[in-house]
Amino acid sequence: MNLLDIRNLSIELISNKKPILAVERVSLSMKEGEVRGLVGESGSGKSLLAQAIVGVLDDRWKVDADRFHWRGNDLMRLSAEERKKIISKDVAMIFQEPMSCLDPTTTIGEQLEEAVDTEQLTGYFWQKKQQRKLAAAQLLHKVGIKNHEVCTKSYPHQLTEALCQRVMIAMALARRPMLLIADEPTAAMETTNKGQIFRLLASLNQLKNMSILLISHDLENVTHWTDTLTVMYSGQFVEAGTTKQIFEKPYHPYTRALVDSSPKANLQLPAKSRLPTLPGSIPILQHLPIGCRLGPRCPQAQQQCVHAPKVKNYHGHQVSCHFSLRGSY
Amino acid sequence: MSALLQVSNLHKFYRLSGYWFNRKTFTALEPLSFDIQAYKTLAIVGETGSGKSTLAKLLVGAERPSGGKIKLNGQTLQSGNFKQRCQHIRMIFQDSGTTLNPSLTIQQLLDEPLALNTKLNEAQRAALIRETLQKVGLLADHMNFYPHMFSGGQKQRISLARAIILKPQVIILDEALASLDPSLRSQMINLLLDIQQQMGLAFILISHNLGIVRHFSDDIMVLCGGSVIEMGSTAEVLNKPKHKYTKKLIMSQHFQLYHK
Repeated sequence: MNLLDIRNLSIELISNKKPILAVERVSLSMKEGEVRGLVGESGSGKSLLAQAIVGVLDDRWKVDADRFHWRGNDLMRLSAEERKKIISKDVAMIFQEPMSCLDPTTTIGEQLEEAVDTEQLTGYFWQKKQQRKLAAAQLLHKVGIKNHEVCTKSYPHQLTEALCQRVMIAMALARRPMLLIADEPTAAMETTNKGQIFRLLASLNQLKNMSILLISHDLENVTHWTDTLTVMYSGQFVEAGTTKQIFEKPYHPYTRALVDSSPKANLQLPAKSRLPTLPGSIPILQHLPIGCRLGPRCPQAQQQCVHAPKVKNYHGHQVSCHFSLRGSY
Repeated sequence: MSALLQVSNLHKFYRLSGYWFNRKTFTALEPLSFDIQAYKTLAIVGETGSGKSTLAKLLVGAERPSGGKIKLNGQTLQSGNFKQRCQHIRMIFQDSGTTLNPSLTIQQLLDEPLALNTKLNEAQRAALIRETLQKVGLLADHMNFYPHMFSGGQKQRISLARAIILKPQVIILDEALASLDPSLRSQMINLLLDIQQQMGLAFILISHNLGIVRHFSDDIMVLCGGSVIEMGSTAEVLNKPKHKYTKKLIMSQHFQLYHK
């Protein structure tokens, strides 16, 4: 069964002039135990989408969707409180900069104990404090921190960034979520630390059957860890499919350019030669092109591209382009 | 051909606080030597705390070395002489957004190094700024814009324009490509390679991303804990790493490739 099923989700920024469509009809579905990568450059709306799923967007944003199901429940029909109840129980999120997300004025231990769910504690009220402490220590063990005593007593600034990220993951695990949304968990981190965090996420996925939505701006960083990928560009859906499909036979010109322009993926290219690249830069939110937003930069753009293309599905490989590259393979 | 930049026995240590007889030092950089030719790129890789940034600071003159010599075209660079150095060795930083003064227009930004270091008059300076902006793929009209009006990729181009406007011989790229989006990053790599060919620059590239290092550089230097572990041509070192640390570094990035 699909854990999360989103069809044609749009997010609008309400401003005094004209509402701006920041995310336009994006579909996303997640199965249980799946690791899905959500890839897009800056301004592609990937973080907005994640925030819309968790439901932390404020009043200025209007979320609309044809379908927004969480394990069969239609979230759009529920009231805000009911929705919050479901989401906060089953979905957890970790953020880019762990150092700045942790409270600098309290110790890690106190913050972790606060995150522990009261319903999981069984015992009389005088036993609860001890149990809470135990639960916090167990959470730290789960994320691979062995000497929990040192860690619980220290403040966030005393720990390294990778350790802080582990603590964040431990907090996210406190309510035993079914879906973990990781919004660029390893940005600005050392390569060796990156590996550690990804390995930890992968092991959680394997052992606890937890689904992970891995958000990243760089295609090449996440491909090793994901089963399926969704690519976004400037708030529009571009392509979705298994990692292998997308990496070996991208159907969309944008994905093709991303794969081609990554120096890591082109080891056969002679050193110091020119990399194939898309011209131009990412459009800003105030001046979005109509129709397919890649249009002005796309090497294959034609007149038809002023109308937004419909999503086509080829054996689970979805692409949103009038002139997909499917025929060229 | 003699080397453009010759570095011999350059090292740096910091004095830690302590009593006179009990003074401790922290060695940031062990003595190291290398040289770079024009048209070549040297990549420096290593983890944080390996001394990459210290080396960059020493070369650009932001810190005084504890010992050793830096020679440019056979001429020794004195550690206090910024006038001599800032014309020949320039640096581009990681975060282009914060290194540009937000209260100055691009023209004022680029005019500053010219006014301080050259004897050109105002019209000549404006012409040179125009020419340099075109060289980095921007329009001459962008002169009157402020930094916040540009996107991240364009800001990085302005940083590049500021670096090349004095016609330097060496440019140090301190993680200059790390914060850019992938499609803009490859544009920037192409631009840097073109400018290297046009102007005969030597680049010193400090980077985490071994894919970029492989594509961009001719030679590579692996630093760990302030000392050079491995040095040689990029293709050789990346294909046949000798040291354990280099192997680990390559493994931690390359396993992502095998999957493909």
